Amino acid sequence: MKRREALKDIALGGLVLGLGRGAAARPRHGVAAQTPSPAKTAPDLSVISAESPAAAARAAVAALGGMAAFVGRGDKVIIKPNIGWDRTPEMAACTNPEVVAALVGLVLEAGAKEAVVMDNTTNQAKRCYVRSGIAEAAKQAGAKVLFTDDYRLKKTALQGAWLKEWDVFADFLEADKVINVPIAKVHSLTRLSMGMKNWLGAIGGARHQLHQKLDEAMVDLAAFFKPALTVLDAYRILVKNGPQGGRLSDTRLVKTIIAGRDQVAVDAFGATLFDVQPGELAYLRIAQERGLGRHELGGLTIEKRTV
Amino acid sequence: MKKERSKKYRRVRALRVLTQSFFFGLFGYLLLVSHYTGEDYLGKPVDAFFRFDPLIALTTLVAGRVVLTWMPIAAAVLVLTLVLGRFVCGWICPLGSLHQAFSFIFKKAGLLKPKREETASTGWKYLVLAVVLVGSAFALNLAGWLDPLSFLVRSFTTAVLPAAALGLSQVVRLLYAIPFPALAQPLSQFINNLAVNTVFFQAFAVGLLFLGALLLNIRKERFWCRYLCPAGALLGLAARWNVLKLRIDEDACIKCGLCTQHCQTQAEPYPNPKWRSSECVYCATCAAICPTAAIGFPASPKPEPVKTIDVRKRRVVLASLVGLAAAPLVRVAPAAKRAHVKLIRPPGALPEPEFLARCVKCGECMKACPTNGLQPTLFEAGLEGLWTPRLVPTIGYCEYYCSLCTQVCPTDAIRELTIEDKVQVKIGTSWINKNRCIPYALGKPCIVCEEHCPTSPKAIKLVLVQAALPDGTVSTQKAPVIDQDLCIGCGICENKCPVVDEPAIFVTSIGEQRSETNRLLLPVIGDGE
Repeated sequence: MKRREALKDIALGGLVLGLGRGAAARPRHGVAAQTPSPAKTAPDLSVISAESPAAAARAAVAALGGMAAFVGRGDKVIIKPNIGWDRTPEMAACTNPEVVAALVGLVLEAGAKEAVVMDNTTNQAKRCYVRSGIAEAAKQAGAKVLFTDDYRLKKTALQGAWLKEWDVFADFLEADKVINVPIAKVHSLTRLSMGMKNWLGAIGGARHQLHQKLDEAMVDLAAFFKPALTVLDAYRILVKNGPQGGRLSDTRLVKTIIAGRDQVAVDAFGATLFDVQPGELAYLRIAQERGLGRHELGGLTIEKRTV
Repeated sequence: MKKERSKKYRRVRALRVLTQSFFFGLFGYLLLVSHYTGEDYLGKPVDAFFRFDPLIALTTLVAGRVVLTWMPIAAAVLVLTLVLGRFVCGWICPLGSLHQAFSFIFKKAGLLKPKREETASTGWKYLVLAVVLVGSAFALNLAGWLDPLSFLVRSFTTAVLPAAALGLSQVVRLLYAIPFPALAQPLSQFINNLAVNTVFFQAFAVGLLFLGALLLNIRKERFWCRYLCPAGALLGLAARWNVLKLRIDEDACIKCGLCTQHCQTQAEPYPNPKWRSSECVYCATCAAICPTAAIGFPASPKPEPVKTIDVRKRRVVLASLVGLAAAPLVRVAPAAKRAHVKLIRPPGALPEPEFLARCVKCGECMKACPTNGLQPTLFEAGLEGLWTPRLVPTIGYCEYYCSLCTQVCPTDAIRELTIEDKVQVKIGTSWINKNRCIPYALGKPCIVCEEHCPTSPKAIKLVLVQAALPDGTVSTQKAPVIDQDLCIGCGICENKCPVVDEPAIFVTSIGEQRSETNRLLLPVIGDGE
């Protein structure tokens, strides 16, 4: 089943059956149904520390059963890093380019037809793409790196609890699989900006109005985009002056990559890096209530390693 | 008498067309790469054409009271013109080439029918020049409005390129609608990569003037070059001892008059003694079309009485008086007395009087601006400052790590800055309108301005405030407060404010570092923290 068909079905299913978001959204990508189910030993989360961001990213995906568990042969895959700011990698405002490149490599090795990398940036798109190092690194790894294109915005039924419809870039609707590659940062409104916040870069329109109910908006968007895989870049995290920092002293080297199927769980683990209890984050609580995922780390199997 | 046109001069003419195409292409290329190409520093002299422009050099020298490193190049052009004539107009000037191309088209289309004998005076441009030069003496920079390069760069930047980009994006929309994404996507990415700014105040006026200038070619071939161009006039004045002189072989001449009829710039090749070296641009049209190859341009260093330029002294005096009167008249306006609230100059802009004396209104800075925020003024800077750049944050903000506008200014009216220096420059001050700010007025969360504030630490701090809601309850929210010591006036807060019609946070010019009068807070002496 193509992703866009799945989306339609889910939207319809959710509407007709009045199912909870989680239940409705779970088979969205048909990940569990189509791709070989991960080995029984595959953990819920992999948390890998390494000197090399790329090595950590590869090991994190491998621990979850490898990219083949998420991406099928011939899939059109879209990889969504955070390229939001005109900042260089050491400022930890955008996803580490090596992590993005590593994922592009893994996706293509898994037999994907194409790997698209894009983000709706905040500063001038070209500056963000270039100075984050992501455009070059992703291109080198074989990705198709695209600027978002306003003509590709489609008014889309999100069927969220708050957001009923919004402008979404068609590239995300047409992809068979979506992989989220956020970076871990502090944020004044949601406290932390990680995977679920990253979806604001997949949409257009008056995004800043979402801040009036940002936690709800993030959950609605996350439920809609529900990625096959979330890889949280915590190689260098932003601990001050979020979400764009500006000085090296705003960042902290953690040298860790967190990956998982459950985007709520990934963000929950990310929160602990900032000494924040996941349950303190409103959006994680809402997400769990809606069955989007689990933020209580106690019940999860976590593979934690240093490579 | 053998009727045959000169092979040599037809080749010269072909070479001239090639040269013109090359320079026009170069001009277009330099203009198109005047944007963020992936490097912090352009590394290309995108304003190169201006460095060869003696009018810009002279007016900057006189009005700006400054000597810039490239001025010797412009002086060399003037010296070359002394001996070679107005070759710059005929072979290099991109606006001249454009006018000539349109004249050619209008001729072919039968719209332009050159008279056998033209009686209109070519003297007007010398009067324009007189006004410009006298104005310069009073630090009034009038060159920018009519200098051919300024005119062309401004027209292309604020009207032609935006219109073309809009047209192309409609093609993209169409291709997506067909649907033909295989072509739509690369085209769209290509446009995105060119980073052409598409939103400009005054675009209609500037575009209309440009169109008008082109359409004038229907009335007279190269109308602009013949009657209006002050740069051409300056070169015409210099073309007095030119070595290459038009010679008609009287034995071969059949007195058909084609040469004079089709002379691009009304230099009157026939009869020979009437030829005016100050008008000739050495396009070689006359020599190429002469049916008997009677015309040539042999070198003859011997000075001889050349026909003086077609302008009466009395008129020059009058024009000078206009320039003289213009200087105080434009300054009667209040703009010179008090800074305009919305006149936010680009980072690196000189203090206002010096800035106005130097800015040639070419719009290179507006071309280079990555956010489209730099816009041509209307009357914010007074009449004198018409079409000079100002930042309009509701359109685009000043990109924190960018100093492109400072790198492209031909006259250094915007001083070149490194990125490190640029981020220190305060161009204005941000203010909050609490009556419209979402947390203050509506009691809802927002923080969008704080999130976007690029400095570290941020100039926008968040404090908890209480807002009374219509139902009588009180809502406590994080609301922005500005630290004026940290605010650089970049305007991203205003640009991104969700209160889009009239942003609840906005930048005004006060506090701009370049001004000693448009100040806000005095540094307190001895205030050692």
